[in-house]
Amino acid sequence: MIVANLLMRPVRTALSVTAVAVEVVLIILVVGLTHGMVQDTALRTQGVGADIMVQPQTTSILLGLSGSPMPIQIADRLRELSQVKAVAPVMVQASSSGGVTLIYGIEKKSFDAVGGGFRFLEGHDLGASEEVLVDDIYARANHIRAGQTIQLLNQSLRVAGVVEHGKGARIFMQLDALQDLMGSIGKVSVFFVKGANPGQTAPALEQIRQVLPNYQVRDMQEFMSLMTASNLPGLNNFITVMIGLAVAIGLLVIFVTMYSAIAERTREIGILKSMGASKKCVINIVLRETTILTLLGIGMGIGLSYLIRILIGVIFPTLPILITGDWLLRACLIALAASLVGASYPAFRASRQDPIQALAYE
Amino acid sequence: MSEIIQVVSLHKIFRAGKMEVPALRGVNLRVEEGEFISIVGPSGCGKSTLLHIIGGLTSPTTGRVIVDGMELGRMNDAQRTEMRRQKIGFVFQRFNLLPTLTAFGNIAMASHIAGRGNGTSRTEMQAVVRLLGLEDRLRHRPAELSGGEQQRVAIARAVVNHPKLLLADEPTGNLDTTNSEVVLNMLLELNHNFGQTILLITHNPEVATFTDRIVNMRDGHILEN
Repeated sequence: MIVANLLMRPVRTALSVTAVAVEVVLIILVVGLTHGMVQDTALRTQGVGADIMVQPQTTSILLGLSGSPMPIQIADRLRELSQVKAVAPVMVQASSSGGVTLIYGIEKKSFDAVGGGFRFLEGHDLGASEEVLVDDIYARANHIRAGQTIQLLNQSLRVAGVVEHGKGARIFMQLDALQDLMGSIGKVSVFFVKGANPGQTAPALEQIRQVLPNYQVRDMQEFMSLMTASNLPGLNNFITVMIGLAVAIGLLVIFVTMYSAIAERTREIGILKSMGASKKCVINIVLRETTILTLLGIGMGIGLSYLIRILIGVIFPTLPILITGDWLLRACLIALAASLVGASYPAFRASRQDPIQALAYE
Repeated sequence: MSEIIQVVSLHKIFRAGKMEVPALRGVNLRVEEGEFISIVGPSGCGKSTLLHIIGGLTSPTTGRVIVDGMELGRMNDAQRTEMRRQKIGFVFQRFNLLPTLTAFGNIAMASHIAGRGNGTSRTEMQAVVRLLGLEDRLRHRPAELSGGEQQRVAIARAVVNHPKLLLADEPTGNLDTTNSEVVLNMLLELNHNFGQTILLITHNPEVATFTDRIVNMRDGHILEN
């Protein structure tokens, strides 16, 4: 009977299934995009190859939001430490041209000493101050080849080379050139430090903390553990608001669908009641119908999410979407709960219908 | 034979705002198990209300209604629902089949609601279907059946759980003469062959001639037996 009812109004059924699918897609993609961006940033920072990061005490863990308040001379003090092998001072600047992206201002020699250098896919190393390196994902997303000129920070900059992604930022330029552009001569955002003993960061951490007691000194393990959506200001609120919107869509559509279905089937409910169907039985029928609609919507939503992720990967390669089993399950449960809440009033109303009035309904 | 229906001083008053409309004004009625009885009267005389009360679809205002030993006035909505499920079968003038289900689905739904699930054996179902001549129409939806066929499906649905009491509300009201006779003969057969107690209401005295006993109603009263 439930399946027959759903097939009786195919357009309404399709609309409801689509609404639930939109709800699921919204949850999976918003969370996936947020977590994907955070994870991508974390992995790229880890990819610099440093063991330790040194930042000012009060700055954000998100490097692009940190500004550049530290004097570059700190690098020399760090290099003097016995537990430090190499130090790369880096200025981090966010750019909004071609989507929000990070630019690292680097001293090529020290950056290579910490991370082992770039792998070039095209072109050559940084030379002149108006040259930049871009990673392959940025190049693909913006259709850029080595030798081309791009507009960045209101400047025309030449792409010297395309490097393999995963070394912190998507765009790199000479440190002094970036400092000059931003008016922060002699200032940097972060020091990436390579310890003297591979795999043993504790002695280096201790030494650095003694020398720089008022700075944040973290090893990469701690940094990675902090780079989650829940640790980043506002992200959780954003996710909650978006999930709330998605739930509202699903709940309202299911409510309207089941409410109109109940109104349309008033007479049928009367028939069922005349046959001895209890209130519980009527509620059960409505909620089972809702559950089937929702499960179809969930299936469609999960399929669409993966499809959209593939499409986004092709069209916007710099936007990583992380779909995890944990959030797939949560999206399913949220959609199911929202649907059941949306259907509960129509179900309750149906169960309370007077059989005689319902049978007389035209 | 024992009494299956006992109605004593039954009153039913409908309230519309401040207006009170008495539908039943002290009805007394007794029906023996196995009887085929008709209640005849014009529209608005209260016969449908009486049938609905006996069937537990609505409650009396005052008076006693006892069906198969159970007093309806003392039962709550859930208990009346349970009684309908176990003891009553309804046949309506407008057939009232579920439009999305096939004839078979409609009959099976009654078993499902009665908690028999698939427990209604194939033999039982087949016997009812054969008796009502529906073998070839089981896969059809109500919209694909004639009025007579729809009413036969409705009767099959009403009797498939072997109810103690079959209540028929103008069962031939929407049928032509030929189909009316077919349906009435089937009810007669159910009564004669299976001892099915049937209470039928109609405004048509000709229909009433098929039954064992005729009760006339006017203005909420029983006139004579």
